[in-house]
Amino acid sequence: MGSAKELDNANPTILSASELQSQRQRRKGRDASAKEEGIREILMAKPSYALDPFYLSEYSDTDSDDDSTLEPIDEQEIYDLIAPISDPEHPLSLESLGVVKLQDVHLISPPDLANPAALSRVLVELTPTVTHCSLATVIGLGVRVRLEQALPPSYRVEVKIKKDTHSQSEEVNKQLADKERVAAALENANLMGILRKMMEPCQD
Amino acid sequence: MDSTPSPTPHSLQLVALSQFKPSASSRAWVSIPNANGLPFLATATSDKTARVYSLVDFTLHSTLEGGHSRSVRSVAWKPQVSKSTDGTRTLCLATGSFDATMGIWRRREGVEGGKENGQLEIERSDGEDNVDGLEVEITRAGAKRSGFEDDKSESEDDWEFALVLEGHESEIKHVAWSPSGQWLASCSRDKSIWIWEEIGEEGEDEWETIAVLQEHTADVKCVCWREDDGNGEVLASASYDDTIRLWREIDGEGEWGCFAVLDGHEGTVWSLEWEPAVSQRLFGMESTTDEDTPKRTPRLMSSSADTTIRVWTLQPAPPPPNRPSYFNPSIPSTMRPAPVEETWTCTAILPKVHDLPVYSISWSKKTGRVVSTGGDGRVAVYEEITKGRTRVGGEIETEWVVLGVLEGGHGPYEINNVTWCTRFDPGRQRDDEEIVVTTGDDGAIRAWSILDSK
Repeated sequence: MGSAKELDNANPTILSASELQSQRQRRKGRDASAKEEGIREILMAKPSYALDPFYLSEYSDTDSDDDSTLEPIDEQEIYDLIAPISDPEHPLSLESLGVVKLQDVHLISPPDLANPAALSRVLVELTPTVTHCSLATVIGLGVRVRLEQALPPSYRVEVKIKKDTHSQSEEVNKQLADKERVAAALENANLMGILRKMMEPCQD
Repeated sequence: MDSTPSPTPHSLQLVALSQFKPSASSRAWVSIPNANGLPFLATATSDKTARVYSLVDFTLHSTLEGGHSRSVRSVAWKPQVSKSTDGTRTLCLATGSFDATMGIWRRREGVEGGKENGQLEIERSDGEDNVDGLEVEITRAGAKRSGFEDDKSESEDDWEFALVLEGHESEIKHVAWSPSGQWLASCSRDKSIWIWEEIGEEGEDEWETIAVLQEHTADVKCVCWREDDGNGEVLASASYDDTIRLWREIDGEGEWGCFAVLDGHEGTVWSLEWEPAVSQRLFGMESTTDEDTPKRTPRLMSSSADTTIRVWTLQPAPPPPNRPSYFNPSIPSTMRPAPVEETWTCTAILPKVHDLPVYSISWSKKTGRVVSTGGDGRVAVYEEITKGRTRVGGEIETEWVVLGVLEGGHGPYEINNVTWCTRFDPGRQRDDEEIVVTTGDDGAIRAWSILDSK
């Protein structure tokens, strides 16, 4: 898969630095700890016991003062999580290839953010570099896995190929939406190797 | 804790009863109560093991490990616990894994010599003491075994990984034993369903592949057996190709074939349940009180990624104009056309509760109620009620109503499976009381009791 001699798109369009929508640098400077594992801890509005319906709290929400200092996750933040993922074919980011775009990241937050069981819905639409890109599924899988690992468990992530940008978008979308297939794929050592490589730029 | 949304006038509440301990540290896929009324629950988990929990005290009873190299996706109890002459009984489980293999596991369970049948013991109606007594009895028998017998087998806690069944090319998604125990079905991402039969004596581990069914055009997610109604056991299968297919032995010579395709879902079909006898009795035609009249064919219920739950009913077929050539023995079987197909249509869609894929449904054999769950973390209970008849002697019209909805049963996590389960813990109020057990992405397995305010 993805051998150098048969690239799907040998000459992709690459966005210049000024066109990039990522705000990673700015955010990094603001809060150096807000990355990787830190993201989950910081963004979890409630301690984990509050997520347990068996935990009968007598004094709930005494920490609500802390909640107000938390910044809710927005589209930009979700975009920043996936923008640096590198293409499996090129040593280029999904952002610079235009595969992920800020305007194609959609977030629906529940009205009641304090309810730990209330779900947020994330939809990311991908624009493959070419309409026959055979790696669309792998890229989509990378985006889904990245977001599922980085976002709190109350976020339901949907990754789709943007309409009319891929010849097999329906098949790809269905695969990416199937949790059982995704789970099985993540137990495949070869695929995990590719995904790990794609995620390397996210570790900075 | 009040988990149900307050404005809805639901008549039923799911009340947190207990969490099975210790839980898995990663995703748990499914939990299945023992098929023979023993107080055990088997769970398939992504940590490559299956676990057996006690339904008496919600603790881990034993672990099936070392048999699979990838996630255990499915687990099935063999119906009928075989008993040997020395008073021990053998529990038998099948596991299906993402490693494309199926495992058969056995565990000898000590039973006190004087007691004839562990199952009777449990189901006797003496109340709590007796339920407690069972646990004591098992413990005592176990101690006795290790004390008296010079048992060279491993410790009492060990499951023997008796056999591995290979054949599928990719992940096994589901395994199911037929109610008679004769057949074991497995299905896979390789689009096929395999039917296996143990041909030797129990424990000899001689198995044969009876059929490989390959008409689905994508992953087969679920297989579900219908009890023998006189025409053999029927297998229903659900697929990523959005359809459901029905299969049976079609010629009495061991040839299996598809005899119906149920088309209507607009997404992967995740789960299937056959109508239990209790609903057939409640909503059958009046004549079913007459024992000579054949019962109405059970309906089938399915849940899907399209977020719907559908009920399918066999349509009466006009008799074929002439005997189809299929039955003509002079034509070689491979040349015969397909058998007469049955027509099944979707006759009801349950009220919409879920807004993400509905991964699991369970149709209670005791009450006829249905419980569902899925990616949205909701657990919903439904009941079928009688609306009346449109004409004298006509079929009873029914409708499905939602009795209760629990939000976030596993906090923010997806719930992969839900099942009705006989209650065995000391808090049970009635012998036939049922609880609901949910299994989630957080690895937790939770028990819920039903608070009926009707």
